Amino acid sequence: MSVEIVSGEEYTVTYNDSTESLTFDGSMRLRTSEEYEPINELMQQALSSTPEGNLLTMDFSSLKFLNSSGINIISRFVIAARKQGTVPLKVVGNQDIYWQQKSLTNLQRLWSSVQIEIQ
Amino acid sequence: MTDLTGTPQIFGTWEALTAVSHHYAAMNLHATHLANHWRRNSLSSDYWAAYAALQIPETVPTGWLRRDDVNYVLSYLLNELFENCAKFSAGPEQTVHYQAWFEDERMVFQFTNHITPAGERPFITLIQELLTSDPDELYFQKLEENAEQEISASGLGYLTLIKDYGIQFGFRFRPINAEITAVDVQAHVSLKEAAF
Ligand SMILES: Nc1ncnc2c1ncn2[C@@H]1O[C@H](COP(=O)(O)OP(=O)(O)OP(=O)(O)O)[C@@H](O)[C@H]1O
Ligand SMILES: [Mg+2]
Repeated sequence: MSVEIVSGEEYTVTYNDSTESLTFDGSMRLRTSEEYEPINELMQQALSSTPEGNLLTMDFSSLKFLNSSGINIISRFVIAARKQGTVPLKVVGNQDIYWQQKSLTNLQRLWSSVQIEIQ
Repeated sequence: MTDLTGTPQIFGTWEALTAVSHHYAAMNLHATHLANHWRRNSLSSDYWAAYAALQIPETVPTGWLRRDDVNYVLSYLLNELFENCAKFSAGPEQTVHYQAWFEDERMVFQFTNHITPAGERPFITLIQELLTSDPDELYFQKLEENAEQEISASGLGYLTLIKDYGIQFGFRFRPINAEITAVDVQAHVSLKEAAF
């Protein structure tokens, strides 16, 4: 089992390979896509480490804020996973965090193999 | 394109609102301050979001946004608008003017920043695309385009606010002199749940 973490002042992104999940915590409102690059790399690593046919979970339920540049990065990742086509995604959201209710379902519209679970 | 008569150009949902009212709040800051310490954008937006959301009663009738929801919507909205002022202010004038009108059924926010006259055209072209397209279609089209190329401006700020939150925007360009154009961005937020 290994756990990898990318973090900044206000956020933590964790990849746990035994649970095959990426967990997003805090607030991600970074300035540019360059600043999002370490997060992007961790997501790519998660994607390539997940065995074909297994589900990779992306858990946003503790992510209070995400700016539009962050939405772009997450959406790009979903499109990359769609293009690879071998690892379906499960997206977990939190009913009490309004942006998640409003915006997470957009990810499913990018790729029908994205399961959305808003708890 | 500078209009030498100084006539403002207006696009979208624009309303002339008076600053003198008991619903009104305002703040002046500097675009370079926001750009130098990026977290000033989110700090300012979280502060004004919480400040505004306090007017929402603890329980609301069905069809109205809950206080927490208003807080989240405004944090997202204001952060996008502060970020834009920080990123896109250009030229000698770097003042950013924030204004807000808190009403019973809606809130209106207006951000003023400054650009150079040469910067007007590309921004206006974008605004016209934004105001005349189907937001849903344009949103997914942009995401697919962004996935194909490495660009730093993702162009999703206004689009997500229109598409996911039903916020209406107005834009006004006011020529100040040969080097400065003031840009006023107005966001109209309904406190009722948008019907999608
Ligand atoms: N306040 C502003 N002053 C000058 N130009 C602006 C301003 N706001 C937006 N623009 C222009 O409009 C474009 C679209 O803005 P929008 O916020 O939708 O996307 P973005 O800032 O490029 O990316 P994102 O918000 O997704 O990180 C910007 O790229 C910029 O060219
Ligand atoms: Mg923006």
